Amino acid sequence: MIITTTDTVPGREITELIGLARGNTVRARHAGKDIGAFFKNLVGGEIEEYTKLLAESREQALDRMVSEATALGADAIVNMRFATSLIAQGAAEFLCYGTAVRLAPE
Amino acid sequence: MSSPDRKPTPDELSAMAYVDAELAPQERAAFEARLAAEPPLAREVARLRSLSLLARQSAPSEPMDHEWARLEQDPIQKASLGLGAFLVLVSSGGLLGWALYAIAIDDKLETVPKVLLLASAAGFGLWFLAVLRGRLRTRSLDPYTVVKR
Repeated sequence: MIITTTDTVPGREITELIGLARGNTVRARHAGKDIGAFFKNLVGGEIEEYTKLLAESREQALDRMVSEATALGADAIVNMRFATSLIAQGAAEFLCYGTAVRLAPE
Repeated sequence: MSSPDRKPTPDELSAMAYVDAELAPQERAAFEARLAAEPPLAREVARLRSLSLLARQSAPSEPMDHEWARLEQDPIQKASLGLGAFLVLVSSGGLLGWALYAIAIDDKLETVPKVLLLASAAGFGLWFLAVLRGRLRTRSLDPYTVVKR
């Protein structure tokens, strides 16, 4: 599966536009990590607890988007974008979406 | 441009050692005397210094993952975190248990509100344990827990 943030795939022709492919998730880390993150807020530096939380969410949302595009019979996802929002304190929503397309054979 | 297979000359090796501050004081003084008298050697030193600067500028801006892992394995850090979490959990649990026990044996409180309070606490506890059990049962099926960043 080719995933690109551009609206074309260089060197390949888009033969069919299938539609929207998206994946999202909302994840949280356990309260112990939130307490650790609170203390990091006081002393500064990277809050690894939340870096990991967002990374987990990003990968899960990406995988869900790819699964959906695969189920739709797509060869590629163009114009892929990420979006985040705050659902609750310490929980992150990650949304990943793009346009599923079919490509001409190489 | 020199071939990568060419072996450095003794002068080039001396220049590398000089730039990396690896020469003994006497050797350094002798090398600096040569630098003043030999422009090609001075040019080589200037080239190596610019390479060194470039290498520093293009170096990773933060420690590699194994460095982070080593820092996290520090025994004092691990013990402090573990002991802190243990004290918070045990004391909070103890305080909650003591509060519930005080409610249960309080003669001034009427039976109905007492039962409702204890039932509410038991309900929350049961609910939490059910969610925790669900998480523990599905955790091994969640491949994203290993994602670092």
